[in-house]
Amino acid sequence: MTKAMSESRRNFLRRSGCALMGAGALAAHVEQFGLIHAFARAQSLSDYKALVCIFLEGGNDGNNTVVPVDDYNAAGGYASVRGASNLSLPQSSLLPLSPPSQQGRKYGLHPNLVELQTLFNQNRLAVLCNTGTLVQPLTRQLYRSGVGHPYQLFSHSDQVEQQQTCISAQPGHTGWGGRISDVMSGANGAAPLPLAISTAGTSLLMSGDDTRQLVVNPEVRLNELFRVDLGNDFSLANTEVRRIAFNRIRADATAKLSRAAAETVEQAMQAGFALSLDPVLPPLQAGQTDFQTTPLGKQLKQVAKIISLRAQLGVRRQIFFCSLGGFDHHNNQRTAANSHDALLLQVSKALKAFHDATVNLGVAAEVTTFTLSDFGRTFEPSGTGAGVGTDHAWGNHQFIMGGAVRGGDFYGTFPTLALGGPDDADERGRWIPTTSTEQYAATLGLWFGLPHASLPAVFPLLGRFPASNLGFMS
Amino acid sequence: MPPSRPNAKRFIRSLSACLLLVLCAGTTAAQNADTSAPVLLTEADSIRAVALESVNFLRDPFTHNTHVAFNADRRTRVALFAMNIQLYAGEGANAFTAEAEDGARRVYPLEVEHVGPVPEFGGITQIVVRLHDQMADAGDVLVRVSLRGMSSNRVRLSVGHAGGGLPDDTGAVPTPAPPTSPAPRPQASPNSYTGPASAPDAVRFLEQATFGPTQAQVARVQSIGIRAYLEEQFNAPASGYPTLPLMPLDANLGCQGGDARVCYRDNYTMYPLQIRLFKNAFYKPDQLRQRVAFALHQIFVVSGRELNETSWMSPYLQTLDRHAFGNFRQLLYDITRNPAMGDFLSTAGNTKEKPNENFAREILQLFTVGPDLLHPDGTPKLDAGGNRIPVYNQATITNFARVFTGWGLAVPPPDTQGILNFADPMIAHERHHDTDAKTLLGGATLPPNQTTLQDLNAALDNIFNHPNVGPFIGKRLIRQLVTSNPSAAYVGRVASVFDNNCAGFYADAACPGERGDLRAVVRAILLDPEARGDIKTDPNYGRLREPVQFIAAMCRAFDARGIGAGGVIVESDGHLEPYATEMGQDVLRPPTVFGYFPAEHIVPGTTLKGPEFGILSSSTALRRIGFTAMMVYGNGIFRGKTIDTPEGTFIWFSSFMPLASDPARVVSALDTLLLHGSMSPNMRDAVTSAVAVIPPTEPNYLLRRTQMAVYLILTSPQYQVQR
Repeated sequence: MTKAMSESRRNFLRRSGCALMGAGALAAHVEQFGLIHAFARAQSLSDYKALVCIFLEGGNDGNNTVVPVDDYNAAGGYASVRGASNLSLPQSSLLPLSPPSQQGRKYGLHPNLVELQTLFNQNRLAVLCNTGTLVQPLTRQLYRSGVGHPYQLFSHSDQVEQQQTCISAQPGHTGWGGRISDVMSGANGAAPLPLAISTAGTSLLMSGDDTRQLVVNPEVRLNELFRVDLGNDFSLANTEVRRIAFNRIRADATAKLSRAAAETVEQAMQAGFALSLDPVLPPLQAGQTDFQTTPLGKQLKQVAKIISLRAQLGVRRQIFFCSLGGFDHHNNQRTAANSHDALLLQVSKALKAFHDATVNLGVAAEVTTFTLSDFGRTFEPSGTGAGVGTDHAWGNHQFIMGGAVRGGDFYGTFPTLALGGPDDADERGRWIPTTSTEQYAATLGLWFGLPHASLPAVFPLLGRFPASNLGFMS
Repeated sequence: MPPSRPNAKRFIRSLSACLLLVLCAGTTAAQNADTSAPVLLTEADSIRAVALESVNFLRDPFTHNTHVAFNADRRTRVALFAMNIQLYAGEGANAFTAEAEDGARRVYPLEVEHVGPVPEFGGITQIVVRLHDQMADAGDVLVRVSLRGMSSNRVRLSVGHAGGGLPDDTGAVPTPAPPTSPAPRPQASPNSYTGPASAPDAVRFLEQATFGPTQAQVARVQSIGIRAYLEEQFNAPASGYPTLPLMPLDANLGCQGGDARVCYRDNYTMYPLQIRLFKNAFYKPDQLRQRVAFALHQIFVVSGRELNETSWMSPYLQTLDRHAFGNFRQLLYDITRNPAMGDFLSTAGNTKEKPNENFAREILQLFTVGPDLLHPDGTPKLDAGGNRIPVYNQATITNFARVFTGWGLAVPPPDTQGILNFADPMIAHERHHDTDAKTLLGGATLPPNQTTLQDLNAALDNIFNHPNVGPFIGKRLIRQLVTSNPSAAYVGRVASVFDNNCAGFYADAACPGERGDLRAVVRAILLDPEARGDIKTDPNYGRLREPVQFIAAMCRAFDARGIGAGGVIVESDGHLEPYATEMGQDVLRPPTVFGYFPAEHIVPGTTLKGPEFGILSSSTALRRIGFTAMMVYGNGIFRGKTIDTPEGTFIWFSSFMPLASDPARVVSALDTLLLHGSMSPNMRDAVTSAVAVIPPTEPNYLLRRTQMAVYLILTSPQYQVQR
């Protein structure tokens, strides 16, 4: 990297800070490899921090996750829109929350989120209200005048991508976790594992320009995860010959897609050398919850095990990506095998077990867990009867959990639940977000140690919003 | 094709005088006249490019921007000069790709903006590229251009300042212009592929058109030629999927008595269809239909994980088989009324009271037009601000959601209680259909008071006739069959055949000028000059074999078998799904409507699309190796390993073992079948010397040697990519 080049890139960033470019062009520049390298990589750090993303795939119905209690029966509110449908959660079933920021207004969690209610009351869990993909702050009037629409709003693939890229003006190919990793991977020195680790396959969130995430199968013991099977013909000598040729051939792969496949194997082999044992998590204490063998439970247990090896591996910063599918409840939202209720139950129990594991590992304040989802869902039901569901919408509520979270409160602005109301993008209850995913992610990134100077490169449109730190992290 | 830019025209007018000096300075002729790879011209004594800033004709180092705004963006354009380029009708800048690599091994794609002959130097082609936004002061870079999968030599030029670049490529030599200008090359005429095929191209063709080359099929393609083989494949009857009995919704009712576990497996899971898919792929002759139908499954996705019963999935798979070489409009119609699709994307039971947007959105976004307006060659149209232009908005989706109201499952068979009819197409219930007017793509309107079916057909016509469909679907199919990063010109050629089956190089004599003829589209994809050829040298060419293809190709190459009653050798039972799932592809059960992997996935560390890399990770990559070890060294999946593997699956090497007395010979034969002879000298040496280590004195040495070679090739990153 020449000095001149990094100078020119700094200049570019200074210009982009002044928002001289259109959203598309600006994001395109950030997308181009190279830009992020202008910043000094973070120096090796002495403390440990981890971010754990739980992506609720398909679009979690936030309207049935956090429900207003005081305004339950307000004209045009929850009871009037959902009360007659099978979606309706009875007011008495809601688990009450009293967030100090809401001027005495009470809210309730879905009845299956018992553990999350407890964590909220212990100030270990916060709720961020009505956050979503935005390219600029919006009002209903602005939105309906055709201004500031994220690319392909309401489409799964694009909204999943934008939650993960934080580039809402156009398709992107790097995720914000990957870009944080591009900037901060130096913090881990020569550790054998990359900063970005996914238990849910290759995710866009964790893809950077340089960052190639490690994908960990949650079903396999750590010490068996990355074993290269060389085959066995009952001759150790032949196996050794094979091993040497196997490595030599891989090094000879030059065509770009072959090279990429080769590097994937190389990363796995390096991790395999490092993960030589399957750790046992510390025993549970009274009142704690163990991991269940649910899809999310297994992923978070694997994450806890990897965190337990942080000292041996010499890692200072880690970002984990977990996901849980099935939230696209166009129909049968309450009755499908993977009903919304069943999935929330799984989320609540898995989060509690993970929180307890971080307590036992002594890193409760060093690990912050947060949810993301494609989008929220229409407040107005879709279909009728037992098969009722909801359609794709926009703004949504998210949870942030951990000892460093200023928990027990709501952040952002709770939307006015009214069809065609001030927060509705149309007439079906698609909330226009009042907090952008970028602000949400930047708040997490700043806690994680991302230098302020790197914010524009990692979050190109952040400067358009009033706050880059939402204050939910201490 | 975009019109050539004013500066490029000016360039042509005034180039001659300038160029004369440069071009005539050379003394040796450029080589490679007998291949189709472009040759970029260099100075006489180095690989420094003959390259000129395209307005003022200045040599490098090039400034990143021009001081005068010849273009709106002021970015410098550079003209490169090449020989040995012969273009097909319609080929221009969009047939080329170009890229530069700097000293830090950073690769910058360069947009090719103009390609044309140099006046008075007919055999020389100028290629004008736009410098990349991020290469302001890159120093020395090595630049290549590629045409139809063939890469030029890499030449050196400087941006910002001279120096600091990579060393010359190994074996790179100066390629100066000849002392006299070569003769202009006539327009290329497409190969008819009616004659015998070469072995490498036959193998490459079979990688694209089947679930994997076998020695027998390679011989067949070589002898009758690719064109005749294609027609044979078009006419082969579908091996297909069985029609299965509709069962009660409740498996406890459906599986009473007998072995409930087997009953459940055979009626309430995808098992019977998954094993059929693999057995068809291993043994049945209609390979091209299977491959295209599997590609269509990944476009018109229905996931078995959302379906209650096996029998619900069969009609969907049969529909894809039936229309693989049929008309796209008919496919669209049958898929829309298919009950599995109706269930998966919520059209079944969609009513005017609460129109569901699920199918409306996906039919537009995924099945037909895609989100952005496209040029005929598949590149996105941009507005004045450089942004993509959406094809539709939320209002369009809402309108289409209303179109697709009124559909429900057909009436169940008589005397059946608790059984849903997923065998017959969905039927219309007029009382649930929204009969108001609707606005469709391009502002077309449906009048009020049409029937459910009238609205459906009119809406499907509206979608089908949108100009995006050809390039959108054409590109998806090219990526499934041939290469992940096709040139825009290739997409354009295929799209033109989608638009009109009389277009293109390979129209039938009696073509009716039909739109959406998938047979013509598949033919155009597979015979295209970008698909064909003995070898492709463009490093960006190819596609990662998806797990199903990886497994099937191995089993086909080495004649997979199982063991039946009494130890008789029979067909494999086809139960390979668990292994594909471990590799990230849960066969017939993709996780979402987006399929097994994201269609636009970017390979990390590159700027290349690689959809299949979406499921190649540090975990799944090792599963490919583990599966290979099991099949090559571990005797495969043994008979009776589980109740689901009654015959098991093993591969054998009987046709290769006799060659293994000579290590070079067995490696060469495997190179031909598995890598169409593309093995690099270094890889060949690595494999051959590993094979040769096993002495003839070792027991079973012919087998051991063959296993060694097969394992090393199948686990190699080179083999993972079909190119």
